[in-house]
Amino acid sequence: MPLPVLLALVVLGIGGIAVALHLLGLSAPRRLDEAGARAAWLREFPGDTVTAATVCADGSAALIAAHSGPGVVWTMGADTTARPLQGARTAAHETGLTLHLPDFTAPRLQLRLTPQEADLWTRTLKDTA
Amino acid sequence: MTDQIAFPDVVQLAVPLFIAAILAELAWIVLRKRGGRYETRDALTSLIMGAGNVASGILLGFIAYGFFMLLWQITPLDLGTSLPVILLCFVLDDLRYYWVHRFGHRIRWVWASHVNHHSSQHYNLTTALRQTWTGTFTFMMLVRAPLILAGFHPALVLFCGGLNLIYQFWIHTEAIGRLPRWVESVMNTPSHHRVHHGRNARYLDANYAGVFIVWDKLFGTFVPEQQSEKVDYGLVRNLGTFNPLRVAFHEWVGIFRDVTQPGITWRDRWMYMVAPPGWSHDGSRADTARIKADHLARHPEDRGTPGFS
Repeated sequence: MPLPVLLALVVLGIGGIAVALHLLGLSAPRRLDEAGARAAWLREFPGDTVTAATVCADGSAALIAAHSGPGVVWTMGADTTARPLQGARTAAHETGLTLHLPDFTAPRLQLRLTPQEADLWTRTLKDTA
Repeated sequence: MTDQIAFPDVVQLAVPLFIAAILAELAWIVLRKRGGRYETRDALTSLIMGAGNVASGILLGFIAYGFFMLLWQITPLDLGTSLPVILLCFVLDDLRYYWVHRFGHRIRWVWASHVNHHSSQHYNLTTALRQTWTGTFTFMMLVRAPLILAGFHPALVLFCGGLNLIYQFWIHTEAIGRLPRWVESVMNTPSHHRVHHGRNARYLDANYAGVFIVWDKLFGTFVPEQQSEKVDYGLVRNLGTFNPLRVAFHEWVGIFRDVTQPGITWRDRWMYMVAPPGWSHDGSRADTARIKADHLARHPEDRGTPGFS
């Protein structure tokens, strides 16, 4: 297949599928509740015990208290992932905090938080450090 | 000895088929409200990984092909390109695929390339296209050497490899349940390959087959899909990014960081490259064996069942 034809097919194919998915409403992010946040943590760390899960007001992430230590779960599109908070840093921004994790596969997380939530996250991370 | 044999690049020719099949699967899922899940950013990442794989093949394919042509100059054997030879080559290349794929899950250096194929938490036809950009650097081209030295022309071997990849495209779907028993017993199917993409302790490191599932049955790595345990797709530790560059290179970065850390022995550094994923010098991580053992400690009732025998 000539390279220009292949290139056009790939670009149009990727673009067309992405637009179709978006128009079908398949870009909507998942929203967490407390039970979902607990389950999301245990899905990544099945041997652990969750003692508390505090979900952000917008449902995009949750602060986890677990026997292994504090952690964060957050939505990845329609799914979730989780990381311990050891070694994490925060920086304040207008609508919450930016969480910097020492992990190449999850380097940065923008958290939309109320001032009260931001304070809780900041205090938890100070205690972790 | 024949040097000039031309076979079509079947993977490139199949690109329109891939796009049409993805749209058909998407339509099926949306209309029937079952048979799988799609999410925009996940699918976009998978498709970009697929495009990158084609690009890396165009840019780096000459390395493997040059190596194969060198072997072809050395070997005194030439089996030709008759139909029986093509069929035999297809079957033997599938055996080659089984072992390369098994190495891809059991040797971290090879896993660093293959891991991105498993990094989606979805299982649909776009997942099939989430392919490596770094396959050349695994040196798994060496596993094809016996085929060429045995007299299969490099162009024929690559043609069969392309057909193998195309076969594997359609099995990345939840829209197809179980196929007739004789198909499930011989061929790799959506059901068998769903197991392979599972992050459940039961399903880890199982069903490496490309086309024929008989290799897994022969070499003891077959685990049937269980009605009682839905497959949970993705990695043991799921990624927190959709960035294709991070998806493509994260395990290589992990290897580099592990190998260059201070205070470990040269043996440790070597093991961080070649031991199974999850190995660590201080036992702080879990490989498949430990994940399964930990699961059995929590669920002793699963002992002796498929995936835990």
